[in-house]
Amino acid sequence: MSLSAELHVASRYLVGTRRWTPVVTVTLISLFGLGLGVFALVVTLALLDGFQSGIRSQIVAHASHAEIWPAAGRRIEEPEKLASLLQGALGDVEIVQMVRGTCLVSSDTDAVPASVIGRSDTDRVTVDRILSRRLGVASGDRVEVISARQRLTPMGPLPVRIRTEIARISTPEPGAESGEVVLPIERAQRLLWGERVIEAIELREKADPWTLGQRARKVLDEAGVAVRVAGLEELHRPLLTALALEKIMIFVAVGLMLVVAALNLLCNVAMVAAEKRKDLAVMAGLGFSPSSLRRLFLVLGLSIGLVGSVAGAVLGSGLAFVLDRTGALELPQGVFMVTAVPFSIDPMTVGLVVAVALGLAALAAWLPARMVARREPSEGLRYE
Amino acid sequence: MSESSSMVRATGLSKGFGAGLTRVEVIQELDLEVATGEMVAVVGPSGVGKSTLLHLIGLLDRPELGRIVLDGVQTDDLEPDARAELRNCDIGFVFQHHHLLEELDALDNVALPVRIAGEKGRVARDRAAGLLDAVGLSDRASHFPDQLSGGEQQRVSVARALAMRPKLLLADEPTGNLDSANAERLFQLVTELHLKAGLTSIIVTHNEEMARRCDRIFRLARRADLSENVRKI
Repeated sequence: MSLSAELHVASRYLVGTRRWTPVVTVTLISLFGLGLGVFALVVTLALLDGFQSGIRSQIVAHASHAEIWPAAGRRIEEPEKLASLLQGALGDVEIVQMVRGTCLVSSDTDAVPASVIGRSDTDRVTVDRILSRRLGVASGDRVEVISARQRLTPMGPLPVRIRTEIARISTPEPGAESGEVVLPIERAQRLLWGERVIEAIELREKADPWTLGQRARKVLDEAGVAVRVAGLEELHRPLLTALALEKIMIFVAVGLMLVVAALNLLCNVAMVAAEKRKDLAVMAGLGFSPSSLRRLFLVLGLSIGLVGSVAGAVLGSGLAFVLDRTGALELPQGVFMVTAVPFSIDPMTVGLVVAVALGLAALAAWLPARMVARREPSEGLRYE
Repeated sequence: MSESSSMVRATGLSKGFGAGLTRVEVIQELDLEVATGEMVAVVGPSGVGKSTLLHLIGLLDRPELGRIVLDGVQTDDLEPDARAELRNCDIGFVFQHHHLLEELDALDNVALPVRIAGEKGRVARDRAAGLLDAVGLSDRASHFPDQLSGGEQQRVSVARALAMRPKLLLADEPTGNLDSANAERLFQLVTELHLKAGLTSIIVTHNEEMARRCDRIFRLARRADLSENVRKI
């Protein structure tokens, strides 16, 4: 049997009525409930995506997009050859050679352990804000970086140290907890190794930073180079996992509104089933099978769900878009990285919200539909 | 009456409602046979089980005991969907209260069984328009039930019952809510359509005069057994 009869009757129940009936009232209440739930979820997730995309942008702006380490040992053999291989295969990729270690960094007032990174793309000394606060130093101040490596002197073995002026205070990576000092690579190599050693290679790319690690891994695997490669996802897995978990938790928590709206829809569809008991019996008498009656109620529930969730999604996305574009919700300066509450509308997320709302609407309609389909047609006529 | 010439053959029908002390036996061990093409009146006092009998024959309800064979089809073991298909294709109902869907206009009410059978809306509406013309209501096609008089509502109901060109017409006090003039007009319409369409009709009525104009009368008595089977006078 085609769906035409069910669709026809459902459409007349929903929009064809010529006067204000309880069916119209409960339909509007159900529409409002589902629409409100979807609206709230879309706006909340757009807000969360806005903040999270800000964090992701910060990661892309400040962190490596991919890093390469030796498969065994600490030094990369023939780093120049590896760099030219990557440059040739990946095109416009920024390649930075690095060494890393932990040193004691001291100022006139304090000394704290910190990560020391030597980079081939800098000739200045940069200290991040975490370390500068701990040491109480600013740009132009001098700090001493003391290595665990020792050299023999006439006075016996002494740790290798350099004294340098801070050129710049940098913003730490999102989630960073320990301080960091960045040195020109030659100074870091002297401090940590005493010779020209490359421990890691950092890759950066503007076009598609999130897949750079995969592409670099493929190139190096095909060339038979034994190195380890980590992309953005691997380098920042704890933070990205926390962000994903946060989104899931918010989805579930705010999504409970949809569950409440679906329960409301269930009650309302059950009320329609009770009010239209005689009509349903007549329709069964005219040949509506139990499965047709089930489909009729599913069409009713899904129609309400579709209109409510699409309206909620459109209004929610529209509001998030306007608030993001106008920057209407300002934030205190200096506290956050952004000046206004950011919103980001992800079509996949909006689609998922609408799909969940529709699924819940179908479930809510299915229970009364099952009840209606189980009745003998004469029941509705007998109690008329 | 041979098996092949009977449209309805009910044997040993029993049906009651409720349980325990509130249990009411409405129909007990009732036998009924209606030949193809017959117009049969079912009469009896209120509460005797006339509507219940019609519901059982029309597959709107299931008997607790007994068998019902419609046009040679044993209906007891049919699945709900098969019963629904039989109701849609082979049985037309006219109820005491018109039972038109208030959200649909007259044309869509008559077209509904045709839509249920899976026909497209245009086909259903064309057939419905012809039937409304046959019952003299072509000018009321776009009127909703509450915009029609009682007589007109029942005529629409008759048109709807015949929309699928059924073999069996079941009418439950179709004139019960009408004044005598409208009741007479409706009964004449049903009689005409019965003959014209070659229907088998079972009509529950309190109107003795109309019952006598049928081919046969079945009288149901208080004890819910078929007490009398009177040939047309």
